[in-house]
Amino acid sequence: MVRVIAAFILSTTAFLTAAEPIDFARDIRPILADRCYKCHGFDDNAREADLGLHNFSSATQDLGGYQAITPGDPEKSEIITRMLSDDEDEVMPPPNANKPKLTPAEISTFKQWIKEGAKYEAHWSFVHPRKSNVIPPRSKLENPIDAFVEKRLKAKKLSFSPAANSNTMVRRLYLDLIGLPPTPEQVETFAQLATEKNLPSAVSQTADELLASPQYGEKWSRDWLDLARYADTNGYEKDRPRSIWPYRDWVINALNADMPYDQFTIEQLAGDMLPNATIDQKIATGFHRNTMLNEEGGIDPLEFRFNAMADRVATTGTVWMGLTTGCAQCHTHKFDPITHTDYYALFALLNNAEEPEIEIPDPEIIAQREKIQEQIRSLEIAETQKIDKAKFTKWIAQNTRPLGNWTDIKPRKSTAEGILLEVENENVIYASGDFTKRHVYDLEFDISGIKPPITGIRLEALPDERLPANGPGTAYYEGRKGDFFLSEFTATVDDQKIGFKNASISFGKIAIGSGKVTPEGVFDGNGSSGWSTATGEGKRHELILEFEQPIQGKSLDVSMLFERHFVAALGKFRIAVTTDAKPVPADASTTPNPAVSSDIDMETAYVNIAKEFAAFQKKVTSLEKSIPALPTTLVMRERTSKNPRETTRHHRGEYLSAKESVGPAVPAIFESIDGDPNRLNLAKWLVSEKNPLAARVAVNRAWRAFFGRGILYTAGDFGLQSETPSHPELLNWLAVKFIDDGWSLKKLHRQIVTSQTYQQQSELNSELMVADPQNVLLSRGPRFRMSGEVLRDAALASSGLLSKKIGGKSVFPPQPSTVAAAAYGGTKWNVSKGEDRYRRSLYTFSKRTAPFAAYLTFDGPTGESCLARREISNTPLQSLTLLNDTMFLEAARALAESTLLNHQSNPVASKIFQRVLSREPTESELIDLTNFYEAQLARLKKNELDAQKISGKPDPELAAWTLTARVILNLDEAVTKQ
Amino acid sequence: MNLQNSTRRQFFGTCGIGLGKIGLGSMMAGGFANAGDLSDFAPKAKRVIYLFMAGAPSQLELFDNKPRLREFDGKPIPPSVIAGQRYAFIQPDAAVLAPRFSFSKHGQSGQEISDCLPHLAKVADDIAIVKSVHTNQFNHSPAQILVNTGGPIPGRPAMGSWVSYGIGNETENLPGFVVLKSGGNLSGGAAMWSPGFLPGKHAGVPFRQSGDPILHVSNPAGVDNQAQRDSLDLIRKMNERRFDVVGDPEIETRINSYEMAWRMQSAAPELIDLSKEPEAITEMYGPGDFAKNCLLARRLVERGTRFVQVYHSGWDHHSQVEKGVTAQAKNVDQASAALIQDLKMRGLLEDTLVVWGGEFGRTPMVEASAALGRSQGRDHHPQAFSMWFAGGGIKPGVTIGKTDEFGFNVIEDGVHVHDVQATILHLLGLQHEKLTYRYQGRDFRLTDVHGHVVEKLLA
Repeated sequence: MVRVIAAFILSTTAFLTAAEPIDFARDIRPILADRCYKCHGFDDNAREADLGLHNFSSATQDLGGYQAITPGDPEKSEIITRMLSDDEDEVMPPPNANKPKLTPAEISTFKQWIKEGAKYEAHWSFVHPRKSNVIPPRSKLENPIDAFVEKRLKAKKLSFSPAANSNTMVRRLYLDLIGLPPTPEQVETFAQLATEKNLPSAVSQTADELLASPQYGEKWSRDWLDLARYADTNGYEKDRPRSIWPYRDWVINALNADMPYDQFTIEQLAGDMLPNATIDQKIATGFHRNTMLNEEGGIDPLEFRFNAMADRVATTGTVWMGLTTGCAQCHTHKFDPITHTDYYALFALLNNAEEPEIEIPDPEIIAQREKIQEQIRSLEIAETQKIDKAKFTKWIAQNTRPLGNWTDIKPRKSTAEGILLEVENENVIYASGDFTKRHVYDLEFDISGIKPPITGIRLEALPDERLPANGPGTAYYEGRKGDFFLSEFTATVDDQKIGFKNASISFGKIAIGSGKVTPEGVFDGNGSSGWSTATGEGKRHELILEFEQPIQGKSLDVSMLFERHFVAALGKFRIAVTTDAKPVPADASTTPNPAVSSDIDMETAYVNIAKEFAAFQKKVTSLEKSIPALPTTLVMRERTSKNPRETTRHHRGEYLSAKESVGPAVPAIFESIDGDPNRLNLAKWLVSEKNPLAARVAVNRAWRAFFGRGILYTAGDFGLQSETPSHPELLNWLAVKFIDDGWSLKKLHRQIVTSQTYQQQSELNSELMVADPQNVLLSRGPRFRMSGEVLRDAALASSGLLSKKIGGKSVFPPQPSTVAAAAYGGTKWNVSKGEDRYRRSLYTFSKRTAPFAAYLTFDGPTGESCLARREISNTPLQSLTLLNDTMFLEAARALAESTLLNHQSNPVASKIFQRVLSREPTESELIDLTNFYEAQLARLKKNELDAQKISGKPDPELAAWTLTARVILNLDEAVTKQ
Repeated sequence: MNLQNSTRRQFFGTCGIGLGKIGLGSMMAGGFANAGDLSDFAPKAKRVIYLFMAGAPSQLELFDNKPRLREFDGKPIPPSVIAGQRYAFIQPDAAVLAPRFSFSKHGQSGQEISDCLPHLAKVADDIAIVKSVHTNQFNHSPAQILVNTGGPIPGRPAMGSWVSYGIGNETENLPGFVVLKSGGNLSGGAAMWSPGFLPGKHAGVPFRQSGDPILHVSNPAGVDNQAQRDSLDLIRKMNERRFDVVGDPEIETRINSYEMAWRMQSAAPELIDLSKEPEAITEMYGPGDFAKNCLLARRLVERGTRFVQVYHSGWDHHSQVEKGVTAQAKNVDQASAALIQDLKMRGLLEDTLVVWGGEFGRTPMVEASAALGRSQGRDHHPQAFSMWFAGGGIKPGVTIGKTDEFGFNVIEDGVHVHDVQATILHLLGLQHEKLTYRYQGRDFRLTDVHGHVVEKLLA
């Protein structure tokens, strides 16, 4: 019966509103976008019959004696004829478009619009929200938010729901602002405040306290990390761990400091490009290093770099523009005014960076390191005093090796496809650019000045801090970082190919695969044999080749092929030649050569090598092991002007279909960037007056966090296909206010929680169920299930287990070992001990291919792509988690145990209930809980149940209370913010 | 209300208050679409068992007999054939490796099958072999994700999720989309059973190889069934009371979720208990994890699960392809054939679709590498590979498609992996172009913007 009445009311309303004047944005464009733009929209290439309906001039063009739209005259508008047609070949949209026909009501709307002149308007979200246009409606209400909301409620003959009661309010406020429930004491304090003054004052004062608490940043960083697709592993097949938690901590700190959102934006997108960038500003650029890295053997690494770039463009679009740019990767956007070229121009803005991993010079760790190193040094000095001179002299003699005479030579030309080979100081060559699986380095030397005969050539592979793991190679995935693989080395003198007869290396080892290094492999014509120095990263190595016949001539051409199934080119090297009668082979000894080392160095080496110093060596080894490593993180580093990266358009978005070069710019529909079009100026542009979207998207996101749905429901999409916002003027007002308030997120959140709109009770009744079932009109307070992370944090907090430690490496709370074991390589999930077992969920190690099961079950992210809006599902697997997961059982146990310990005098059931749900149970609830407790206790006492197994102690009462607490943790109220 | 943006939960939630308690059947069993909205034809298959051979089995050793390769053994393939190809590990000018096994014709249909698959040969007349499948990814992770989700990068809904979304489940007691695994590492990982942007309830549920098959399906230590039921009764009572105060239909949904969880707790142990299967049946499937999973897959579909993905890894034979294929054929041949026979005996084959195949094929050229210590292997080959299909609406005993004399390129009836997806949906009564979901302003579908139903495969 209720439903029948509802249907009647709804249809009546629909009838009444139909008489309003036509609003292009509300009434016409959504239909055009949905049914017409695919073939008659922005995309020139997809356009059928040369007809565009996306703007006035195309829609009204002369099509040969008739027009699709004749303003003022629906009868003479072909579009209406086509909409009405029964002929399969005539009707629009055509049957093969898989789009519904227009309804008679929609057609009459179109007719009226044409009659009124067929006016087109710019899409609302592309027009900058201006202060002058966003004056709140006249109202007695204090918070302007309420005036906007009340206006719509009144139009629907509704009013605000009553304010939530004090217990509900304080719980909601805590969960929203810090992601944790209040303690019973905090509930009490709030209630007193509300009684002494009133509820709004209590909210206002408590909000200030919560906004200032460090837990605020922890709570709100989770939402941001969803957007940033943060994870602790690389993703794809192997999904190995990465270190980027310093970025996560940066977000927490920035939010706690209420860093203005414009600055927050600029630092994350281009902190490295700011003048005198601080280490924190560099760490912030981790935002776009959260893309995945495919370490599968055999992939084309540049294809996956392209994919990561596409992800960066899409994420930038979603986060700061609310636009789905992704469509334009393949073709001009059918629905939004973003062309195929626009997309690659935006791509180009982000596409000029290197992607290094940097050490964070944490002063504390540096001090610790220096302290231990000094300790070692003084031990060494002391130990060298004990050296027996005779023995030492003998050792020196034994270890003195012959030295060859080498002349470093400087190439007059050095080239490699796609790679820049620069000659730096001392004839050293440094390679940079986009490395892939196969590279040939061509070097040309003038040897006319060297007195022949030249008998040998030396290649030095050199370390450098700019290279992965300090080089000498450029491998950065799949292989060991800093590895290289020299497949072939060829020499040509005055166009005459020269052979080699002997090869030697100072060190050689192959990683990945069971092969062995063969120095001769570099001239055997087999690309899969050769030289590699795996495990020798950060050190100098050499390869010496003896020419088959001594050479002489004017020009020596050297060609080096680097090829493996991963990137394996050499990053830094130097070439030398010798005129010794026979080249001295490479020195493979790990002992320094006295011929080139100082006495002090040799003494130090001696005490570290000779057997009689074993005790000292043991001490040094253990000290070395205790040197703490500096944390590392992934950052962006803009390329030098010598080596800019070119961006091209890719046909159909395919990596292999590169077309013409595209310069950096923002989409043509917007005002252009100030200054050089680069990443930094893009970041500044995104939060400038020129981008009408950034503030709106940010406030809508905040709104959704509080209310469960945005003012614009389609949170990630502010484009032409988006729904109309429920309160467009409110959205604009909040955006303008946000900017006026210095882009302060804390002020924005405060603005929201101090509104009457937010403070309403969330109860539904049959009237609201009909009039506002989804709470679109905000006729009541928010009520929705909490995220998996908040659920866990709340359970840990109310049971007293939660650790308050902020930041640091990610941790491994308990979950079944089978979760991680299912991932590639059968990953071990070594459960953290002590405090780390109970850290906030934000710090749980996030593995992309095996996300923490409990969060995933509650619609948590995988970190594979930017997530603007989580689903809020309700499934049996969630029930199983809450009922049976160890983590929640531990919480129940701790709840029971600590309640029994501290509150013997109070009714235990009531106390547990309060700790979890922030209110006292009703009388009947208390009776039910007590009955349950008694029943379980009886069974425990009869040994039908095992107290030890349930509560970890042979205490039936504790076990019965554990079971009772478990029930309370499973209640709808425990998992819902209301 | 924009139906596509609302979840079914919200949909039922909205109606719930007027309708009273919602039948559990409608909640779990229903999909988003009524078959009538999406198809103009009756479904031929009601459920799917997809035997995914991860790592990419060599079609040249199993189904695609290429005598010409024996003549070319040790010589390079003509450059006209190999021009412009990218490979994972080798250069395209590597020499040909002759097929390692001989082939024979089987059954009345005379299907040609390698001698290393003797069990499958016995059901040759029940299967359709497609020798002309191709893909556009040449590395495992992206290629596996492409087959399973329609795109090479993680983030799109899995095939089983689309099916669950499209037509729902047939049981209230077990998940509608189940994932079983055996063999080694699975490159595509969890992205292959992720619901992507579809509502979470369409997620594939991986059964664990040890401990609880479904996470947390057992009571915690010390909690017996009575204590669990007592707890659930109290949770229900208190939630119902709360519903009377708050009026949020979401509470009703939660009550139902808890009841379903309870039923899953009793259904799961019964499901995985293979001890009641007659010995003749367990013997028919043979030993090993894959065989166990095939039998489990049959039990799942029997009990109403809609889509079972059975992954078996271990086919990535970059080295010693002969030894590798021999070993894996031993692991999967008997059980794959037994599954067909078993389903047939039970009358389930006619409306159960069985699919067998990997993510790409393997090169006619040899792979050898000193650095990796590899020899006599085959590299990844996206241009052509073979799959087979059986049951639910598939024309039995046919061979579809041809490759050139080197087995390098498809020359007849090419079937892209998107076509495989379109065909599977078609057999389930779903039009792949109409099964869409709007996400961030775009209508997504399993087949992206591609896919054609392979008419020749249809009975």
